[in-house]
Amino acid sequence: MTARLQQLRRLPRFWLWVGALGVVLAVAAAAGVIVLWKGLVVTNLNDLVPWGLWIAIDLSSIALSAGAFLLCAAVYLLGLKRYQPVARTATFVGLIGYSMAMLCLFMDIGQPFRFWHALIYWNTHSVLWEVTMCIMSYFTVLVFETMPIVAGAGWFKRRWPRLAGWMSGVHHYAPFLALIGLGLSSLHQSSLGATYGVLKARPIWYKPDLSVLFILSAAAAGPALTVLASMLAARLTPKARVDDSLLERIAHVIGWVLVGYLYFRFWDAFSMTYTYWPGRNEGLDMLTGGQLAFNFWVGEILLGALVPAVLLLVPRFRRLPWLRMVALALVVGGVVAYRWDINLVGQLVLLTYLPTEIAARYTTYTPALIEWAVGAGIVAYGLLAFSLGVRYLNIVDHGQPVEAEAHPAPAPALSPAAGD
Amino acid sequence: MKRNKPLSRRAFLKTAAAAGAATVLGLQYARWARASGPVGASKHRWAMVIDQSKCTGCGYCTEACRAHNDVPPTIAWNRVIASGEVAGRPTFLPRPCMHCEHAPCVEVCMVGASYYRADGIVMMDYDKCIGCRYCEVACPYGARAFNWETFTGPNPAVPEWGQPEVPRRPRGVPEKCSFCVQRIDRGLAHGLMPGVDPQATPACVVACPAKARVFGDLNNPDSEVSRLLATHPYYRLREDLGTAPRVYYLPARQEAES
Repeated sequence: MTARLQQLRRLPRFWLWVGALGVVLAVAAAAGVIVLWKGLVVTNLNDLVPWGLWIAIDLSSIALSAGAFLLCAAVYLLGLKRYQPVARTATFVGLIGYSMAMLCLFMDIGQPFRFWHALIYWNTHSVLWEVTMCIMSYFTVLVFETMPIVAGAGWFKRRWPRLAGWMSGVHHYAPFLALIGLGLSSLHQSSLGATYGVLKARPIWYKPDLSVLFILSAAAAGPALTVLASMLAARLTPKARVDDSLLERIAHVIGWVLVGYLYFRFWDAFSMTYTYWPGRNEGLDMLTGGQLAFNFWVGEILLGALVPAVLLLVPRFRRLPWLRMVALALVVGGVVAYRWDINLVGQLVLLTYLPTEIAARYTTYTPALIEWAVGAGIVAYGLLAFSLGVRYLNIVDHGQPVEAEAHPAPAPALSPAAGD
Repeated sequence: MKRNKPLSRRAFLKTAAAAGAATVLGLQYARWARASGPVGASKHRWAMVIDQSKCTGCGYCTEACRAHNDVPPTIAWNRVIASGEVAGRPTFLPRPCMHCEHAPCVEVCMVGASYYRADGIVMMDYDKCIGCRYCEVACPYGARAFNWETFTGPNPAVPEWGQPEVPRRPRGVPEKCSFCVQRIDRGLAHGLMPGVDPQATPACVVACPAKARVFGDLNNPDSEVSRLLATHPYYRLREDLGTAPRVYYLPARQEAES
C-alpha cells in the first residue's frame, strides 16, 4: 500500500492533474449518456425556466473566448506585433471556449442529433440564427488560426512534414482571418445579449443595453482569462514561458475596459429605477435585494468589477504577479456571475397575462446534480485541452522570436508552402 | 506584419466577385428556406372568440384537446385559469395558443420550425425543431410546453374525450395548440365549414358544454365570430405587446345574463 502511494507520489504532477480531470470527464460522460438516453427530464429545467446552468456555461465560454478576436485584431490589424505570442495563446483558448460552448448546446437542445438543422434551415429574422451562423463561421476561422500553432510543434512537423508545411502557410492569411474574426465576433458577442434583449415579454431583458454590456464584459473577461492562463501555466510548468511586461500591459487595458463596463452597467441599472414597469422593477429588485442579490453585489459588481478594476489600474498592485492573477480570476468570475444572473433573472420573474392584473410572479431554479456533472465535465475538457496545449503545442511561449514565427525559414521538406 | 505580395487587381476582383455571388446565393437560399408563406394568401382568417361570461371553468376543453391532439396528461395546450370574480361569481380564462399575427415564437425561431400558415395559424414543424426552447422563452402567454420526456403508454383522455387525430410529438420539442388544423383542413376538403360543422371545428369548441367558445372565419362577415365581435365589447391578452392575438375574449360583466 505504501509502496503504491510512493509510486503515486513519484508520478509527475502533470499526469496527476490529467488523471483528476479524467475522473471528472468520466463522470460527465456517464451523466451525458443518461441525459441523451432519458431526455432533459433528468434536469431541473422546466417550462418556466427552460434555460439553466448549461446555457450560463455556454454564454460564459463564448465571453471568455473573446481574447482571441481582440488580441488577433490588435496584432494583425493595429500592428501591435509584440503581442503576437499572447494572441497565439488567446486563439487556442478561443478554440477551446467555442468548442465548450458547442458541447453545452449539444447537451442542452432537445434534439441534439438535429444540430445540423441550424445550418440548412434558416430563419434569417432570428437573432439566434445570426448567432449560430457567426459561431460556426468563427469556429472555422479559429481552426484556421490554430493550424500554424499545431504545425509549429516539433512532433507534428516530424510526423507529417508536408501537412505541417501547408498548415503553417495559413499564417500568411492571419490579417484576413483577424479581420473576419473581428467582424464575426463583434456581431455575435453582442447579439448573444440581443438574444435576450429582443424579447418584449421579458421586461428586465427588453432593452438594447444588453448587447452593449455583453460585448463589453466579454472584452474585459476574454483577455483576462488568456493572461491569467498564461501566468498560471508559466508558474506551473517550465514548458510555458511568459514575458511579464506584455501581460502586465494587457492587464492594464483590462482595468480600463472594466471601468467602461461599470459605467454602462451603472446607467443600465440606475435608469431602471425611475418609473415602474411591471416585471422590470421586480427583476431589478431580485438582483439588488432578492434571491440573486449576493451574486449581483458581490459576484458581479464588487468582486467581479470594482475590486479588479482597482487592482489592475493601480501600478503598485498590478506589478505584483499574484495580486494581478487574483484580479484576473475575479474578472473571469465576474463575467460568469453576470451571465448566470442575466439568464436567470428574466426567467425567474414571470408576468401574468390576466386582463385584470399584469403582475409579477416568481419561480426558482437550482441546477440538478446531473447538470452540475455535465457542466463540470465541459469545464474539465477545457482545462484538459489547455493543459495538453501548453505541454505539446507550446501555446504559452513568449520566448520565441516574433519575426521568426511570422516568416519561418522554409525547410527543404516544407517546399509546398515555400512557393506561397 | 509584412505581406509577401500586394493584392493584385485581378485577385481583388476575383474575391469581390466570389463574395458577391455568395451573398446573392445566400439571399436566395434564405428566401427559399423561409418556412412561412405569405400570410393572407388564404381566403380564410381563422379566429376564436371565448365568452368569459359563459365559461364555468369545467375544463372539458382541456381534456377534449388532450384526446384529439394526443397530448400527455402532464401538458395542457388549453389551460383554464381562474381569473377572479365578477359580481360575486368566479370567472375563468381559457388559454389556447393565441395564434398571434406578430408571433414572438415565429420571429425568434432560428430554424423556422415555428411558422405562419397562409390562413394565419401559427404552426410547429416538429420534424424541423431542434429543441432550443427560445420560442418558449419568447412567448408571453406560456402557450408552449416542452416535451421533457417521451410520452409512452395510453393517453388517459382517450377514448372518453375523443380519439387522437395527429401523431404524438417526439421528446425534445415544444408543442402547442394548432387550432386543430387537422380538423380544419380535413373539414374543408370535405366541403364542411370550420366553426359551423362540428367535424371541422377545433375539439375544444365542440366539447364546451357552455358554448363559451366560438370559432370561425374573420374574413366572412356573416360568421359567428365576426358577428360577436361586431356586437360585443372584447379584448385580447397583452395587447400592449403588439402581438395581435387571434383569440378574442368577451369579458364577464355585471349585467351578464345568467
